[in-house]
Amino acid sequence: MSDNLKILKRGIIDENPALRLVLGTCPTLAVTTSAINGLGMGLAATFVLLGSNIVVSLLRNVIPNKVRIPAYITIIAGFVTVVQMLVKAFLPAIDSALGIYLPLIVVNCIILARAEMFAGKNRVLPSVFDALGMGIGFTAALLLMGMIRELLGAGTLFGITVTANFIAPMTLMLLPPGGFFIFGVLIALANKLSVKKGKQPVNKLGCSGDCASCPTSCGGDAQ
Amino acid sequence: MKEMLAILFLAILTNNFVLVKFLGICPFLGVSKKLGTAVSMAAAVTLVMVMATAATWPIYYYLLAPNGLDYMQTIVFILVIAALVQLLEVVLHRYSSALYSALGIYLPLITTNCAVLGVTVLNITDNYTFGAAIVNSLGAGIGFLLAMVLFAGVRSRLEACDVPSSLQGLPITLIAASIVAMSFLGLGGVVENIFA
Amino acid sequence: MKEIIKVSATLAAICAAVTLAVAGANLLTADKIAQSEQKAITDSLGEVLPCDSYDSVSDNCYKAADKGYIFITAANGYGGEVSVMTAIAPDGKIIAVKVLSCSDETPGLGQNSQKAAFTDQYKGQSGSLEVVKSGAADGQINAITSATITSRAVTAAVNEALAQFDSIAKEAVK
Repeated sequence: MSDNLKILKRGIIDENPALRLVLGTCPTLAVTTSAINGLGMGLAATFVLLGSNIVVSLLRNVIPNKVRIPAYITIIAGFVTVVQMLVKAFLPAIDSALGIYLPLIVVNCIILARAEMFAGKNRVLPSVFDALGMGIGFTAALLLMGMIRELLGAGTLFGITVTANFIAPMTLMLLPPGGFFIFGVLIALANKLSVKKGKQPVNKLGCSGDCASCPTSCGGDAQ
Repeated sequence: MKEMLAILFLAILTNNFVLVKFLGICPFLGVSKKLGTAVSMAAAVTLVMVMATAATWPIYYYLLAPNGLDYMQTIVFILVIAALVQLLEVVLHRYSSALYSALGIYLPLITTNCAVLGVTVLNITDNYTFGAAIVNSLGAGIGFLLAMVLFAGVRSRLEACDVPSSLQGLPITLIAASIVAMSFLGLGGVVENIFA
Repeated sequence: MKEIIKVSATLAAICAAVTLAVAGANLLTADKIAQSEQKAITDSLGEVLPCDSYDSVSDNCYKAADKGYIFITAANGYGGEVSVMTAIAPDGKIIAVKVLSCSDETPGLGQNSQKAAFTDQYKGQSGSLEVVKSGAADGQINAITSATITSRAVTAAVNEALAQFDSIAKEAVK
Protein backbone atom coordinates (compact mmCIF):
# COMPACT_ATOMS: atom_id res chain seq x y z
CA MET A 1 0.00 0.00 0.00
CA SER A 2 2.81 2.39 0.87
CA ASP A 3 4.06 1.97 -2.68
CA ASN A 4 0.76 3.25 -3.96
CA LEU A 5 0.90 6.23 -1.62
CA LYS A 6 4.39 6.97 -2.93
CA ILE A 7 3.02 6.91 -6.47
CA LEU A 8 0.28 9.31 -5.37
CA LYS A 9 2.72 11.74 -3.73
CA ARG A 10 5.09 11.57 -6.69
CA GLY A 11 2.36 12.80 -9.01
CA ILE A 12 1.29 15.63 -6.74
CA ILE A 13 4.69 16.98 -5.70
CA ASP A 14 7.92 15.49 -7.06
CA GLU A 15 6.68 15.05 -10.59
CA ASN A 16 3.90 17.62 -10.65
CA PRO A 17 2.80 17.39 -14.29
CA ALA A 18 2.31 21.13 -14.80
CA LEU A 19 5.15 22.62 -12.78
CA ARG A 20 7.82 19.89 -12.70
CA LEU A 21 7.25 17.78 -15.83
CA VAL A 22 5.87 20.80 -17.71
CA LEU A 23 3.27 18.81 -19.62
CA GLY A 24 -0.10 20.08 -20.74
CA THR A 25 1.08 23.67 -21.04
CA CYS A 26 -1.73 24.75 -23.38
CA PRO A 27 -4.63 24.34 -20.93
CA THR A 28 -2.42 25.49 -18.05
CA LEU A 29 -1.99 28.82 -19.78
CA ALA A 30 -5.32 29.15 -21.54
CA VAL A 31 -8.07 28.42 -19.04
CA THR A 32 -6.54 29.75 -15.85
CA THR A 33 -8.16 33.17 -16.07
CA SER A 34 -10.20 32.35 -12.97
CA ALA A 35 -9.88 29.90 -10.10
CA ILE A 36 -13.10 28.09 -10.96
CA ASN A 37 -12.04 27.56 -14.60
CA GLY A 38 -8.68 26.16 -13.49
CA LEU A 39 -10.42 23.81 -11.09
CA GLY A 40 -12.95 22.69 -13.72
CA MET A 41 -10.25 21.99 -16.30
CA GLY A 42 -8.14 20.12 -13.74
CA LEU A 43 -11.02 17.91 -12.65
CA ALA A 44 -12.08 17.17 -16.24
CA ALA A 45 -8.52 16.16 -17.13
CA THR A 46 -8.28 14.05 -13.95
CA PHE A 47 -11.45 12.17 -14.90
CA VAL A 48 -10.09 11.41 -18.38
CA LEU A 49 -6.71 10.43 -16.96
CA LEU A 50 -8.28 8.05 -14.45
CA GLY A 51 -10.48 6.43 -17.09
CA SER A 52 -7.74 6.06 -19.67
CA ASN A 53 -5.21 4.75 -17.13
CA ILE A 54 -7.65 2.07 -15.93
CA VAL A 55 -8.63 0.93 -19.42
CA VAL A 56 -5.10 1.03 -20.82
CA SER A 57 -3.81 -0.92 -17.82
CA LEU A 58 -6.57 -3.54 -18.19
CA LEU A 59 -5.85 -3.93 -21.89
CA ARG A 60 -2.06 -3.74 -21.62
CA ASN A 61 -1.64 -7.39 -22.65
CA VAL A 62 -4.26 -7.20 -25.39
CA ILE A 63 -3.18 -4.10 -27.31
CA PRO A 64 -0.52 -4.98 -29.89
CA ASN A 65 2.63 -2.94 -29.39
CA LYS A 66 2.66 -1.66 -32.98
CA VAL A 67 -0.68 0.09 -32.80
CA ARG A 68 -0.65 1.07 -29.16
CA ILE A 69 -0.54 4.82 -29.81
CA PRO A 70 -3.65 4.88 -32.06
CA ALA A 71 -5.36 2.56 -29.58
CA TYR A 72 -4.50 4.86 -26.66
CA ILE A 73 -5.67 7.93 -28.58
CA THR A 74 -8.99 6.26 -29.39
CA ILE A 75 -9.55 5.29 -25.75
CA ILE A 76 -8.63 8.79 -24.53
CA ALA A 77 -10.86 10.43 -27.14
CA GLY A 78 -13.74 8.24 -25.95
CA PHE A 79 -13.32 9.40 -22.36
CA VAL A 80 -12.97 13.03 -23.44
CA THR A 81 -16.25 12.79 -25.37
CA VAL A 82 -17.97 11.36 -22.29
CA VAL A 83 -16.59 14.22 -20.16
CA GLN A 84 -17.81 16.73 -22.74
CA MET A 85 -21.31 15.25 -22.50
CA LEU A 86 -21.31 15.19 -18.70
CA VAL A 87 -20.11 18.78 -18.42
CA LYS A 88 -22.65 19.97 -21.02
CA ALA A 89 -25.44 18.18 -19.16
CA PHE A 90 -24.63 19.11 -15.59
CA LEU A 91 -22.27 22.12 -15.63
CA PRO A 92 -23.24 24.20 -18.68
CA ALA A 93 -21.50 27.30 -17.26
CA ILE A 94 -18.15 25.46 -17.10
CA ASP A 95 -18.78 24.14 -20.62
CA SER A 96 -19.03 27.62 -22.09
CA ALA A 97 -16.06 28.87 -20.05
CA LEU A 98 -13.72 26.05 -21.12
CA GLY A 99 -15.04 26.04 -24.69
CA ILE A 100 -12.66 24.47 -27.17
CA TYR A 101 -10.13 23.48 -24.49
CA LEU A 102 -12.46 20.72 -23.28
CA PRO A 103 -12.22 18.58 -26.46
CA LEU A 104 -8.53 19.44 -26.58
CA ILE A 105 -7.92 17.30 -23.48
CA VAL A 106 -7.47 14.54 -26.11
CA VAL A 107 -4.13 15.99 -27.08
CA ASN A 108 -3.07 16.92 -23.55
CA CYS A 109 0.47 15.52 -23.23
CA ILE A 110 -0.11 14.32 -19.67
CA ILE A 111 -2.76 11.76 -20.50
CA LEU A 112 -1.01 10.08 -23.41
CA ALA A 113 2.29 10.24 -21.53
CA ARG A 114 0.84 8.45 -18.49
CA ALA A 115 -0.76 5.79 -20.70
CA GLU A 116 2.54 5.22 -22.48
CA MET A 117 4.90 5.50 -19.53
CA PHE A 118 2.89 4.01 -16.67
CA ALA A 119 -0.51 2.42 -17.33
CA GLY A 120 0.73 0.40 -20.31
CA LYS A 121 3.29 -1.32 -18.09
CA ASN A 122 1.64 -1.57 -14.67
CA ARG A 123 -1.26 -3.30 -12.95
CA VAL A 124 -4.58 -1.54 -12.46
CA LEU A 125 -4.30 -0.43 -8.84
CA PRO A 126 -0.96 1.38 -9.18
CA SER A 127 -2.29 2.94 -12.41
CA VAL A 128 -5.27 4.29 -10.52
CA PHE A 129 -2.99 5.89 -7.93
CA ASP A 130 -0.74 7.23 -10.68
CA ALA A 131 -3.77 8.83 -12.39
CA LEU A 132 -5.04 10.27 -9.11
CA GLY A 133 -1.64 11.66 -8.17
CA MET A 134 -0.99 13.21 -11.57
CA GLY A 135 -4.58 14.46 -11.78
CA ILE A 136 -4.53 16.07 -8.35
CA GLY A 137 -1.12 17.58 -9.06
CA PHE A 138 -2.35 19.03 -12.35
CA THR A 139 -5.58 20.31 -10.76
CA ALA A 140 -3.70 21.90 -7.85
CA ALA A 141 -1.30 23.69 -10.22
CA LEU A 142 -4.14 24.96 -12.40
CA LEU A 143 -6.15 26.06 -9.36
CA LEU A 144 -3.14 27.89 -7.92
CA MET A 145 -2.47 29.61 -11.22
CA GLY A 146 -6.15 30.48 -11.66
CA MET A 147 -6.30 31.94 -8.15
CA ILE A 148 -3.22 34.09 -8.65
CA ARG A 149 -4.40 35.38 -12.03
CA GLU A 150 -7.94 36.03 -10.81
CA LEU A 151 -6.74 37.81 -7.67
CA LEU A 152 -4.24 40.02 -9.51
CA GLY A 153 -6.24 40.48 -12.69
CA ALA A 154 -9.78 40.90 -11.42
CA GLY A 155 -9.33 41.43 -7.68
CA THR A 156 -11.65 38.52 -6.94
CA LEU A 157 -11.33 34.91 -5.78
CA PHE A 158 -13.91 32.33 -6.93
CA GLY A 159 -15.95 35.34 -8.06
CA ILE A 160 -15.98 36.98 -4.62
CA THR A 161 -14.51 40.47 -4.46
CA VAL A 162 -11.32 40.52 -2.42
CA THR A 163 -9.00 43.34 -3.34
CA ALA A 164 -10.86 44.97 -6.23
CA ASN A 165 -12.25 47.71 -4.00
CA PHE A 166 -8.94 49.14 -2.84
CA ILE A 167 -6.38 47.94 -5.39
CA ALA A 168 -7.08 48.55 -9.05
CA PRO A 169 -6.99 45.08 -10.73
CA MET A 170 -4.27 44.51 -13.32
CA THR A 171 -6.34 43.27 -16.25
CA LEU A 172 -3.10 42.36 -18.03
CA MET A 173 -2.81 39.30 -15.75
CA LEU A 174 -5.99 37.88 -17.32
CA LEU A 175 -4.66 38.47 -20.83
CA PRO A 176 -2.24 36.10 -22.61
CA PRO A 177 0.96 37.94 -21.48
CA GLY A 178 -0.11 37.53 -17.85
CA GLY A 179 -0.54 33.79 -18.42
CA PHE A 180 2.99 33.34 -19.76
CA PHE A 181 4.41 35.58 -17.02
CA ILE A 182 2.72 33.91 -14.04
CA PHE A 183 3.55 30.44 -15.40
CA GLY A 184 7.22 31.44 -15.80
CA VAL A 185 7.35 32.81 -12.26
CA LEU A 186 5.67 29.71 -10.81
CA ILE A 187 8.14 27.37 -12.52
CA ALA A 188 11.02 29.54 -11.30
CA LEU A 189 9.57 29.28 -7.77
CA ALA A 190 9.17 25.50 -8.05
CA ASN A 191 12.79 25.34 -9.25
CA LYS A 192 14.00 27.40 -6.31
CA LEU A 193 12.17 25.15 -3.84
CA SER A 194 13.42 21.93 -5.38
CA VAL A 195 17.01 23.16 -5.59
CA LYS A 196 16.81 23.87 -1.86
CA LYS A 197 15.72 20.26 -1.36
CA GLY A 198 18.69 19.14 -3.41
CA LYS A 199 16.78 18.23 -6.56
CA GLN A 200 17.40 19.13 -10.16
CA PRO A 201 15.72 22.30 -11.43
CA VAL A 202 13.50 21.92 -14.48
CA ASN A 203 14.66 23.93 -17.38
CA LYS A 204 13.17 22.12 -20.25
CA LEU A 205 9.82 20.86 -21.42
CA GLY A 206 8.60 17.56 -20.05
CA CYS A 207 8.45 15.62 -23.25
CA SER A 208 11.41 17.16 -25.01
CA GLY A 209 14.38 15.26 -26.25
CA ASP A 210 13.22 11.77 -25.61
CA CYS A 211 10.21 11.81 -27.83
CA ALA A 212 10.07 8.04 -27.95
CA SER A 213 8.94 8.01 -24.35
CA CYS A 214 6.43 10.78 -24.96
CA PRO A 215 4.86 10.45 -28.38
CA THR A 216 3.13 13.80 -28.08
CA SER A 217 3.28 17.21 -29.52
CA CYS A 218 6.64 18.55 -28.54
CA GLY A 219 10.09 17.95 -29.74
CA GLY A 220 13.47 19.48 -29.46
CA ASP A 221 14.85 21.13 -26.43
CA ALA A 222 13.49 24.15 -24.63
CA GLN A 223 16.72 25.40 -23.17
CA MET B 1 -13.03 38.56 -50.87
CA LYS B 2 -12.86 41.25 -48.22
CA GLU B 3 -14.43 38.87 -45.74
CA MET B 4 -11.85 36.18 -46.55
CA LEU B 5 -9.00 38.66 -46.09
CA ALA B 6 -10.48 39.68 -42.76
CA ILE B 7 -10.64 36.03 -41.63
CA LEU B 8 -7.05 35.50 -42.77
CA PHE B 9 -5.62 38.49 -40.93
CA LEU B 10 -7.77 37.90 -37.87
CA ALA B 11 -6.36 34.38 -37.64
CA ILE B 12 -2.78 35.57 -38.15
CA LEU B 13 -2.72 38.58 -35.83
CA THR B 14 -5.74 39.09 -33.57
CA ASN B 15 -6.43 35.47 -32.76
CA ASN B 16 -2.86 34.26 -33.12
CA PHE B 17 -2.99 30.60 -32.21
CA VAL B 18 0.12 30.57 -30.05
CA LEU B 19 0.23 33.99 -28.45
CA VAL B 20 -3.48 34.65 -27.98
CA LYS B 21 -5.24 31.29 -27.98
CA PHE B 22 -2.43 29.29 -26.32
CA LEU B 23 -2.59 26.44 -28.82
CA GLY B 24 0.58 24.64 -29.87
CA ILE B 25 2.62 25.91 -26.93
CA CYS B 26 4.80 22.77 -26.80
CA PRO B 27 6.33 23.17 -30.26
CA PHE B 28 6.42 26.94 -29.76
CA LEU B 29 8.65 26.56 -26.69
CA GLY B 30 10.29 23.35 -27.88
CA VAL B 31 11.54 24.01 -31.38
CA SER B 32 11.77 27.79 -31.60
CA LYS B 33 15.43 27.77 -30.61
CA LYS B 34 16.78 27.80 -34.12
CA LEU B 35 15.21 29.76 -36.96
CA GLY B 36 15.60 26.98 -39.54
CA THR B 37 13.88 24.27 -37.52
CA ALA B 38 11.21 26.75 -36.41
CA VAL B 39 10.31 27.53 -40.02
CA SER B 40 10.25 23.85 -41.07
CA MET B 41 8.08 22.88 -38.14
CA ALA B 42 5.65 25.73 -38.76
CA ALA B 43 5.46 24.91 -42.47
CA ALA B 44 4.62 21.28 -41.64
CA VAL B 45 1.97 22.41 -39.15
CA THR B 46 0.40 24.78 -41.69
CA LEU B 47 0.27 22.04 -44.32
CA VAL B 48 -1.36 19.58 -41.92
CA MET B 49 -3.82 22.21 -40.63
CA VAL B 50 -5.11 23.00 -44.13
CA MET B 51 -5.28 19.32 -45.11
CA ALA B 52 -6.98 18.37 -41.85
CA THR B 53 -9.59 21.07 -42.34
CA ALA B 54 -10.18 19.99 -45.94
CA ALA B 55 -10.83 16.47 -44.62
CA THR B 56 -12.72 17.10 -41.36
CA TRP B 57 -15.07 19.86 -42.55
CA PRO B 58 -16.85 17.68 -45.15
CA ILE B 59 -16.84 14.71 -42.77
CA TYR B 60 -18.63 16.78 -40.12
CA TYR B 61 -21.20 18.40 -42.39
CA TYR B 62 -21.93 15.49 -44.74
CA LEU B 63 -21.38 12.48 -42.50
CA LEU B 64 -21.69 13.31 -38.81
CA ALA B 65 -24.20 16.17 -38.54
CA PRO B 66 -26.90 14.75 -40.89
CA ASN B 67 -26.88 11.45 -38.98
CA GLY B 68 -27.01 13.04 -35.53
CA LEU B 69 -23.50 11.81 -34.78
CA ASP B 70 -22.00 15.21 -34.00
CA TYR B 71 -21.03 13.95 -30.55
CA MET B 72 -18.47 11.70 -32.25
CA GLN B 73 -16.65 14.82 -33.48
CA THR B 74 -13.65 14.67 -31.14
CA ILE B 75 -12.92 11.00 -31.74
CA VAL B 76 -13.36 11.14 -35.50
CA PHE B 77 -11.32 14.33 -35.91
CA ILE B 78 -8.30 13.09 -33.96
CA LEU B 79 -8.30 9.78 -35.85
CA VAL B 80 -8.59 11.57 -39.20
CA ILE B 81 -5.68 13.83 -38.27
CA ALA B 82 -3.58 10.85 -37.15
CA ALA B 83 -4.31 8.96 -40.38
CA LEU B 84 -3.64 12.04 -42.49
CA VAL B 85 -0.26 12.66 -40.89
CA GLN B 86 0.71 9.02 -41.47
CA LEU B 87 -0.38 9.26 -45.09
CA LEU B 88 1.48 12.50 -45.66
CA GLU B 89 4.61 10.98 -44.19
CA VAL B 90 4.44 7.97 -46.51
CA VAL B 91 3.72 10.10 -49.58
CA LEU B 92 6.50 12.58 -48.84
CA HIS B 93 8.92 9.75 -48.13
CA ARG B 94 8.20 8.13 -51.48
CA TYR B 95 7.86 11.11 -53.82
CA SER B 96 9.84 14.02 -52.45
CA SER B 97 12.95 13.28 -50.51
CA ALA B 98 13.83 16.97 -50.27
CA LEU B 99 10.53 17.86 -48.61
CA TYR B 100 10.68 14.74 -46.50
CA SER B 101 14.09 15.56 -45.10
CA ALA B 102 12.92 19.11 -44.35
CA LEU B 103 9.55 18.31 -42.78
CA GLY B 104 9.58 14.59 -42.17
CA ILE B 105 10.92 14.47 -38.65
CA TYR B 106 8.27 16.91 -37.43
CA LEU B 107 5.32 15.05 -38.88
CA PRO B 108 4.91 12.39 -36.15
CA LEU B 109 4.95 15.16 -33.56
CA ILE B 110 2.09 16.98 -35.24
CA THR B 111 -0.65 14.39 -34.71
CA THR B 112 -1.16 15.42 -31.14
CA ASN B 113 -0.31 19.08 -31.62
CA CYS B 114 -3.32 20.77 -30.09
CA ALA B 115 -3.20 23.56 -32.65
CA VAL B 116 -4.20 21.16 -35.43
CA LEU B 117 -7.14 19.59 -33.60
CA GLY B 118 -7.94 23.08 -32.29
CA VAL B 119 -8.28 24.65 -35.72
CA THR B 120 -10.51 21.86 -37.03
CA VAL B 121 -12.82 22.12 -34.01
CA LEU B 122 -12.89 25.94 -34.14
CA ASN B 123 -13.87 25.86 -37.82
CA ILE B 124 -16.97 23.93 -36.80
CA THR B 125 -17.86 25.92 -33.66
CA ASP B 126 -17.44 29.23 -35.51
CA ASN B 127 -19.82 28.07 -38.27
CA TYR B 128 -17.36 28.80 -41.08
CA THR B 129 -18.20 27.86 -44.65
CA PHE B 130 -15.77 25.48 -46.36
CA GLY B 131 -13.83 28.30 -48.04
CA ALA B 132 -13.67 30.36 -44.86
CA ALA B 133 -12.55 27.31 -42.90
CA ILE B 134 -9.66 26.70 -45.30
CA VAL B 135 -8.64 30.37 -45.16
CA ASN B 136 -8.89 30.32 -41.36
CA SER B 137 -6.64 27.24 -41.18
CA LEU B 138 -4.12 28.84 -43.51
CA GLY B 139 -4.16 31.98 -41.35
CA ALA B 140 -3.75 29.95 -38.19
CA GLY B 141 -0.73 28.22 -39.72
CA ILE B 142 0.83 31.47 -40.90
CA GLY B 143 0.19 32.96 -37.46
CA PHE B 144 1.97 29.99 -35.92
CA LEU B 145 4.89 30.54 -38.32
CA LEU B 146 5.01 34.26 -37.47
CA ALA B 147 5.06 33.58 -33.73
CA MET B 148 7.77 30.92 -34.13
CA VAL B 149 9.99 33.16 -36.27
CA LEU B 150 9.60 36.19 -34.01
CA PHE B 151 10.29 34.11 -30.93
CA ALA B 152 13.32 32.39 -32.47
CA GLY B 153 14.81 35.88 -32.85
CA VAL B 154 14.03 36.79 -29.25
CA ARG B 155 15.57 33.58 -27.99
CA SER B 156 18.80 34.00 -29.87
CA ARG B 157 19.22 37.29 -27.97
CA LEU B 158 18.29 35.57 -24.73
CA GLU B 159 21.17 33.12 -25.14
CA ALA B 160 23.68 35.86 -24.48
CA CYS B 161 21.97 37.18 -21.35
CA ASP B 162 23.02 36.65 -17.78
CA VAL B 163 19.87 35.26 -16.17
CA PRO B 164 19.38 34.67 -12.41
CA SER B 165 19.81 30.96 -11.70
CA SER B 166 16.18 30.16 -10.76
CA LEU B 167 14.94 31.79 -13.93
CA GLN B 168 17.35 30.03 -16.27
CA GLY B 169 15.92 27.93 -19.05
CA LEU B 170 12.18 27.57 -19.23
CA PRO B 171 11.09 30.34 -16.80
CA ILE B 172 12.91 33.14 -18.64
CA THR B 173 11.69 31.71 -21.95
CA LEU B 174 8.10 32.00 -20.69
CA ILE B 175 8.65 35.55 -19.46
CA ALA B 176 10.11 36.47 -22.84
CA ALA B 177 7.04 34.88 -24.45
CA SER B 178 4.93 37.09 -22.20
CA ILE B 179 6.55 40.20 -23.65
CA VAL B 180 6.14 38.95 -27.23
CA ALA B 181 2.46 38.23 -26.45
CA MET B 182 2.11 41.78 -25.16
CA SER B 183 3.29 43.13 -28.50
CA PHE B 184 0.51 41.13 -30.17
CA LEU B 185 -2.07 42.80 -27.91
CA GLY B 186 -1.15 46.05 -29.59
CA LEU B 187 -2.21 44.60 -32.93
CA GLY B 188 -5.62 43.77 -31.50
CA GLY B 189 -7.92 46.41 -32.90
CA VAL B 190 -5.92 47.07 -36.07
CA VAL B 191 -7.42 44.32 -38.22
CA GLU B 192 -11.01 45.03 -37.23
CA ASN B 193 -10.60 48.72 -37.91
CA ILE B 194 -9.16 48.06 -41.37
CA PHE B 195 -11.89 45.63 -42.40
CA ALA B 196 -14.81 47.03 -40.38
CA MET C 1 0.12 -11.49 -42.85
CA LYS C 2 -1.51 -13.25 -39.94
CA GLU C 3 -0.04 -10.69 -37.58
CA ILE C 4 -1.39 -7.75 -39.60
CA ILE C 5 -4.88 -9.21 -39.43
CA LYS C 6 -4.60 -9.75 -35.70
CA VAL C 7 -3.32 -6.21 -35.10
CA SER C 8 -5.99 -4.63 -37.29
CA ALA C 9 -8.71 -6.71 -35.67
CA THR C 10 -7.65 -5.64 -32.17
CA LEU C 11 -7.57 -1.98 -33.19
CA ALA C 12 -10.94 -2.27 -34.89
CA ALA C 13 -12.39 -3.95 -31.81
CA ILE C 14 -11.12 -1.15 -29.58
CA CYS C 15 -12.57 1.48 -31.93
CA ALA C 16 -15.90 -0.35 -31.99
CA ALA C 17 -15.98 -0.68 -28.19
CA VAL C 18 -15.19 3.02 -27.71
CA THR C 19 -17.84 4.00 -30.25
CA LEU C 20 -20.43 1.84 -28.50
CA ALA C 21 -19.53 3.29 -25.11
CA VAL C 22 -19.76 6.85 -26.39
CA ALA C 23 -23.04 6.17 -28.16
CA GLY C 24 -24.37 4.73 -24.90
CA ALA C 25 -23.22 7.77 -22.94
CA ASN C 26 -24.91 9.95 -25.54
CA LEU C 27 -28.21 8.11 -25.04
CA LEU C 28 -27.96 8.65 -21.31
CA THR C 29 -27.03 12.33 -21.40
CA ALA C 30 -28.77 13.64 -24.55
CA ASP C 31 -32.04 14.41 -22.78
CA LYS C 32 -30.28 16.05 -19.88
CA ILE C 33 -28.18 18.20 -22.23
CA ALA C 34 -31.28 19.32 -24.14
CA GLN C 35 -32.97 20.05 -20.82
CA SER C 36 -30.16 22.18 -19.45
CA GLU C 37 -29.86 24.07 -22.74
CA GLN C 38 -33.60 24.75 -22.68
CA LYS C 39 -33.42 25.71 -19.00
CA ALA C 40 -30.60 28.17 -19.72
CA ILE C 41 -32.80 29.88 -22.35
CA THR C 42 -35.89 29.93 -20.14
CA ASP C 43 -33.91 31.31 -17.21
CA SER C 44 -32.52 34.10 -19.37
CA LEU C 45 -35.99 34.85 -20.77
CA GLY C 46 -37.25 35.20 -17.21
CA GLU C 47 -34.36 37.54 -16.41
CA VAL C 48 -34.89 39.99 -19.25
CA LEU C 49 -38.70 39.97 -19.23
CA PRO C 50 -40.50 38.05 -16.48
CA CYS C 51 -43.70 36.48 -17.76
CA ASP C 52 -45.80 33.40 -16.97
CA SER C 53 -45.35 31.79 -20.36
CA TYR C 54 -43.46 32.42 -23.56
CA ASP C 55 -44.66 31.58 -27.06
CA SER C 56 -41.97 30.72 -29.51
CA VAL C 57 -42.54 32.87 -32.61
CA SER C 58 -39.49 31.58 -34.47
CA ASP C 59 -36.13 30.00 -33.69
CA ASN C 60 -34.76 33.17 -32.20
CA CYS C 61 -37.89 35.07 -31.18
CA TYR C 62 -40.21 34.62 -28.22
CA LYS C 63 -43.44 36.48 -27.41
CA ALA C 64 -44.08 37.23 -23.74
CA ALA C 65 -47.91 37.64 -23.72
CA ASP C 66 -48.70 41.35 -24.18
CA LYS C 67 -45.50 42.49 -22.45
CA GLY C 68 -43.39 42.39 -25.59
CA TYR C 69 -40.98 40.31 -27.62
CA ILE C 70 -37.62 38.74 -26.81
CA PHE C 71 -35.03 38.20 -29.53
CA ILE C 72 -31.81 36.18 -29.51
CA THR C 73 -29.34 37.63 -31.99
CA ALA C 74 -25.61 37.39 -32.54
CA ALA C 75 -22.77 39.38 -34.06
CA ASN C 76 -19.03 38.84 -34.44
CA GLY C 77 -16.95 40.21 -31.59
CA TYR C 78 -13.25 40.14 -30.88
CA GLY C 79 -12.68 36.43 -30.54
CA GLY C 80 -15.83 34.93 -31.99
CA GLU C 81 -19.57 35.18 -31.89
CA VAL C 82 -21.30 37.23 -29.18
CA SER C 83 -24.88 36.22 -28.61
CA VAL C 84 -27.34 38.65 -27.06
CA MET C 85 -30.91 38.47 -25.76
CA THR C 86 -32.98 41.63 -26.19
CA ALA C 87 -36.43 42.23 -24.69
CA ILE C 88 -38.47 44.87 -26.53
CA ALA C 89 -41.77 46.34 -25.30
CA PRO C 90 -44.75 46.68 -27.67
CA ASP C 91 -43.94 50.42 -28.08
CA GLY C 92 -40.52 49.53 -29.54
CA LYS C 93 -38.47 50.52 -26.50
CA ILE C 94 -35.84 48.13 -25.12
CA ILE C 95 -36.75 46.65 -21.74
CA ALA C 96 -33.53 44.78 -21.06
CA VAL C 97 -30.44 43.37 -22.77
CA LYS C 98 -28.51 40.31 -21.64
CA VAL C 99 -25.27 39.09 -23.16
CA LEU C 100 -25.68 35.31 -23.31
CA SER C 101 -22.29 34.10 -24.37
CA CYS C 102 -19.07 35.96 -24.90
CA SER C 103 -16.54 33.43 -23.65
CA ASP C 104 -14.32 34.11 -26.66
CA GLU C 105 -14.03 37.75 -25.65
CA THR C 106 -11.11 38.89 -23.52
CA PRO C 107 -11.63 38.28 -19.79
CA GLY C 108 -11.57 41.56 -17.89
CA LEU C 109 -12.23 43.60 -21.03
CA GLY C 110 -14.75 42.28 -23.56
CA GLN C 111 -16.36 40.00 -21.00
CA ASN C 112 -17.32 43.10 -18.99
CA SER C 113 -20.08 43.47 -21.60
CA GLN C 114 -22.09 41.08 -19.41
CA LYS C 115 -22.11 43.57 -16.55
CA ALA C 116 -25.19 45.67 -15.80
CA ALA C 117 -23.14 48.90 -16.00
CA PHE C 118 -22.89 48.29 -19.75
CA THR C 119 -26.17 46.56 -20.58
CA ASP C 120 -28.32 49.01 -18.58
CA GLN C 121 -27.43 51.68 -21.15
CA TYR C 122 -29.74 49.99 -23.64
CA LYS C 123 -32.84 50.29 -21.47
CA GLY C 124 -35.51 52.57 -22.92
CA GLN C 125 -33.62 53.05 -26.20
CA SER C 126 -35.21 52.43 -29.57
CA GLY C 127 -34.59 52.83 -33.31
CA SER C 128 -31.00 52.13 -34.30
CA LEU C 129 -28.12 52.54 -31.88
CA GLU C 130 -24.49 53.48 -32.35
CA VAL C 131 -21.39 53.11 -30.20
CA VAL C 132 -19.34 56.10 -29.05
CA LYS C 133 -16.19 56.17 -26.90
CA SER C 134 -17.72 58.42 -24.25
CA GLY C 135 -20.47 60.97 -23.54
CA ALA C 136 -23.31 58.98 -25.10
CA ALA C 137 -26.46 60.92 -26.00
CA ASP C 138 -29.85 59.43 -26.79
CA GLY C 139 -29.50 56.60 -29.32
CA GLN C 140 -25.86 56.14 -28.41
CA ILE C 141 -24.01 53.64 -26.23
CA ASN C 142 -20.78 54.24 -24.34
CA ALA C 143 -18.22 51.61 -25.31
CA ILE C 144 -16.50 49.59 -22.59
CA THR C 145 -12.97 50.93 -22.12
CA SER C 146 -10.51 48.98 -24.32
CA ALA C 147 -13.31 46.77 -25.63
CA THR C 148 -14.80 48.82 -28.44
CA ILE C 149 -15.09 45.81 -30.73
CA THR C 150 -17.11 43.78 -28.24
CA SER C 151 -19.29 46.83 -27.50
CA ARG C 152 -19.92 47.23 -31.22
CA ALA C 153 -20.77 43.55 -31.57
CA VAL C 154 -23.33 43.68 -28.75
CA THR C 155 -24.85 46.83 -30.23
CA ALA C 156 -25.00 45.28 -33.70
CA ALA C 157 -26.85 42.30 -32.24
CA VAL C 158 -29.28 44.62 -30.41
CA ASN C 159 -29.86 46.63 -33.61
CA GLU C 160 -30.62 43.37 -35.40
CA ALA C 161 -33.20 42.61 -32.72
CA LEU C 162 -34.72 46.09 -33.11
CA ALA C 163 -34.92 45.59 -36.87
CA GLN C 164 -36.61 42.20 -36.43
CA PHE C 165 -39.08 43.81 -34.01
CA ASP C 166 -39.88 46.48 -36.59
CA SER C 167 -40.75 43.93 -39.23
CA ILE C 168 -42.98 42.05 -36.77
CA ALA C 169 -44.70 45.29 -35.75
CA LYS C 170 -45.34 46.15 -39.42
CA GLU C 171 -46.81 42.68 -40.01
CA ALA C 172 -49.18 43.27 -37.11
CA VAL C 173 -50.39 46.63 -38.49
CA LYS C 174 -51.26 44.99 -41.80
